[in-house]
Amino acid sequence: MTKPCFLGVDIGSLTVKAVLLDAGQRLLTRGVVPAGYGGQEAAEALVARLLRECGLTPDEIAYTVVTGYGRVRFATADEEVSEISCHARGAFHLCPAVRTVIDIGGQDSKAMRLDAQGRVVDFAMNDKCAAGTGRFLEVMAAALDVPIEQFGALALQSEHPVAISSTCTVFAESEAISHIARGVAKQDVAAGLHQAIASRVLGLAARVGLEAEVMLTGGVALNVGVVAALSRQSNQRITVPADPQTVGALGAALYAWHKGRR
Amino acid sequence: MAEKRYKKLKTAAELQRLMQWHYTRIRLPRLGRPLAWVTSGAPVEILRAMGVIAVYPENYGALCGARREAVSLCEAAEAQGYSPDLCSYARTSLGSVFQSERAPMGGLPQPDLLIACNNICGTVIKWYEAVAAHYEVPLFILDTPFIHGAFEPHALAYVVAQLEAMIRFVERTTGRRLSMKRLERTVRLANETVQLWSEIRALCKARPSPLNAPDLFVNMAPIVVLRGTEGAVRFYRHLKAEVEMRVKNGIGAIPKEKYRLLWDNIAIWHHLYRFYNYFVDYDACFVVDTYTGGWSQEIPEGQSELMEGIATAYATVFLNQSLEYRSHLMERLIREYDVDGFVMHCNRSCKPYSLGQYAIRRRITEGTGVPGLIIESDMCDARAFAAEAVKTRIQAFMETLAERK
Repeated sequence: MTKPCFLGVDIGSLTVKAVLLDAGQRLLTRGVVPAGYGGQEAAEALVARLLRECGLTPDEIAYTVVTGYGRVRFATADEEVSEISCHARGAFHLCPAVRTVIDIGGQDSKAMRLDAQGRVVDFAMNDKCAAGTGRFLEVMAAALDVPIEQFGALALQSEHPVAISSTCTVFAESEAISHIARGVAKQDVAAGLHQAIASRVLGLAARVGLEAEVMLTGGVALNVGVVAALSRQSNQRITVPADPQTVGALGAALYAWHKGRR
Repeated sequence: MAEKRYKKLKTAAELQRLMQWHYTRIRLPRLGRPLAWVTSGAPVEILRAMGVIAVYPENYGALCGARREAVSLCEAAEAQGYSPDLCSYARTSLGSVFQSERAPMGGLPQPDLLIACNNICGTVIKWYEAVAAHYEVPLFILDTPFIHGAFEPHALAYVVAQLEAMIRFVERTTGRRLSMKRLERTVRLANETVQLWSEIRALCKARPSPLNAPDLFVNMAPIVVLRGTEGAVRFYRHLKAEVEMRVKNGIGAIPKEKYRLLWDNIAIWHHLYRFYNYFVDYDACFVVDTYTGGWSQEIPEGQSELMEGIATAYATVFLNQSLEYRSHLMERLIREYDVDGFVMHCNRSCKPYSLGQYAIRRRITEGTGVPGLIIESDMCDARAFAAEAVKTRIQAFMETLAERK
C-alpha cells in the first residue's frame, strides 16, 4: 500500500456524498450524486469515479466509514457512524469555532451543539415531518414552477413576504397555491415559504441552544434564501462552508482517518 | 437472536400463570360479586375490601399493545370518530368495547360500575364517560387536585371527602358495606406488595444490574392489577429471591453492562424487546425508570387516619405533581443508580407524562451533567414508531456517551 487514503461516504435520502482524504488529512477529492434507488449503487459508482480521478485503486483505501440513512446498505464499509457525529466532526474540522451545527438534508434536519473539543454535547432531529427539510423546498419550488437552484434567490427579491401558517408540507403547498391564485407575486410566496422553513428549523435548534458560531450544512445550505431567513430570524451570523453537502462525508472520512491511520 | 440478548427470569412462568388466572377469573361466575373497571391510579384497596372485583383497561391496553393487536382496536375507535391523537390505551379500550370480536380475549368482561381517578391524567374522565354511556353503568370520578408545590391540608381534606363519596357510591351501587377491618387487611397486603416491588427495583443499583427495563415493565403487571392480594405478594417474594440471587452471583440482565441508563415514560409495548435490544447492542442497560416506580407509594398505617393515608398515597403520585418534582425525582434516581444517560419516551398518547420533557431534560443535564435523549413514539400505537429514525437517534446518542467515557 503506497499511499493509503481514507474514505467517507454519506448516503442520504436524495443524494450520495463521498470524500477522500490522504494520510495528512488533506482533501484528495469529493463528489455528490443523486441517490437513485436505495443509494447503494450510486455510492459505489461515485466512489469508483473518485478513485479513478485520483489514480487510486480500491486496495489503497485504508479505512471506510459510512453514514446517512443508507449506511447499513454499503457493504464495503469498515464502520458506520451516525450522521450526528459525522456532521459535527466535519463542521468542527472546517471551523473549530463552531458551537452549533444545523444540517438540513433532504428528509431531515438536525441541530447539534458542540463543546470546545468538538464533541457533541446535545442534538435534536426533526420527527415524522418533512416540514423543515429540503424536500419541503423541492415540493414548494415545483408548486411555484421555479427551478430549485433559483428558488432562494427568488425569495430574496421579495419586499412583502406572505405568511405561510401551515407547518405541514402538503397543506403549505395548497396554501402557497391559493396565494398564487389570488394574484400574490411569486417572490412574496417564495419568501413566505423560506421564512416558514427557517422558523421551523430554528425551533428545532432552540432545543439544543443556538450558540455562536453557527454553521449551516447539508444541501439546503446552498439556498441563499434559507440562509438569509435563518440569519435574520435568529440574529446570528450563519456560516456556510464551501461545499456544505459534503460535510457529513468529510466527517465520516475524518473518522476513517482516525481509525485507519496505523 | 433477540432472545439471546434477553435473559429470561425463572419466575416468568409464574408471572404468566398469575396474570392468566386473573384474566380467567374475571370471566368466571362471580356469585354476585360486582366487577369494576378502574384506572391504574384508583384506590383499589377500598374496592377489594368491599368485595368488588377490579379490572384494569390500561393493563389490557398494554397487553394488546405487546401482542401487537392494539392498532386494529385503535382503528375501530377512530372509525367511531375518536381522534388518532387520543391516548392509545383509551382508543384500544374503546375499540375493544365497540368491536369485541376483534379484541384479544373478546375484550374485558362488561363492568357493573366504573371508577376513574384523575391522578394520572384527564383523559380517563372522558374515556370512562364514553364507557359508562356505552354500557349504561354508573361512573365515579375521584378528583385529586394537581399538586403544584406541597400537598396542602385543604387538598388532603378534599381528597378524603372524595374517598368518602366514592365509598358511598360503591355502597349505593353494589349494596355492599365497607368493613374497616377488611380495608386494613387489604392495605397491609398492598403495602407489602409495594414494599417488595420497591426492594426489587432497588436491587438494580447493583453492578451489573440484575434487571433491564423490559424486565421491570413485564413484571409490573401484578403491582398494578393485583396490588393488595395474596397472589401478588407471593409472586414478588419469589421474584425478589431470584433477583437477589442474580445480584449475589454477579449476573446482569444483559450480557455486558457498559452503560447504565434511566428510562422515562411508559414502555413502547409493541416493540418492547426489540427496542431495548437496540441499546443492548451498545452494552447499555436501563437500570431504573420512572414509570414502574409509580406504584411504590406505601399507605401510611397506624398513626394517622387510614383515609388520610390512602388520600395522600394516591394524590401524590408523580404524574399528579409539578415538573420540578419530577426533575428532582429523576436527578435523585440518576445519582442513586449511578446512571450515565437517560432516555425519555415522548409518548404521543400520554400528554401529562410527555409535556415538559424538554424542560425536564435541560434541567437534569444542567443539574447532573448527564445527557438525555428524547425518542418520539407511542406506547400502543405502532403506527407512531419509525424504526430507522429511532435507531439513528440511539446510535448518535450512544456515540456521544462513548465520547464521554
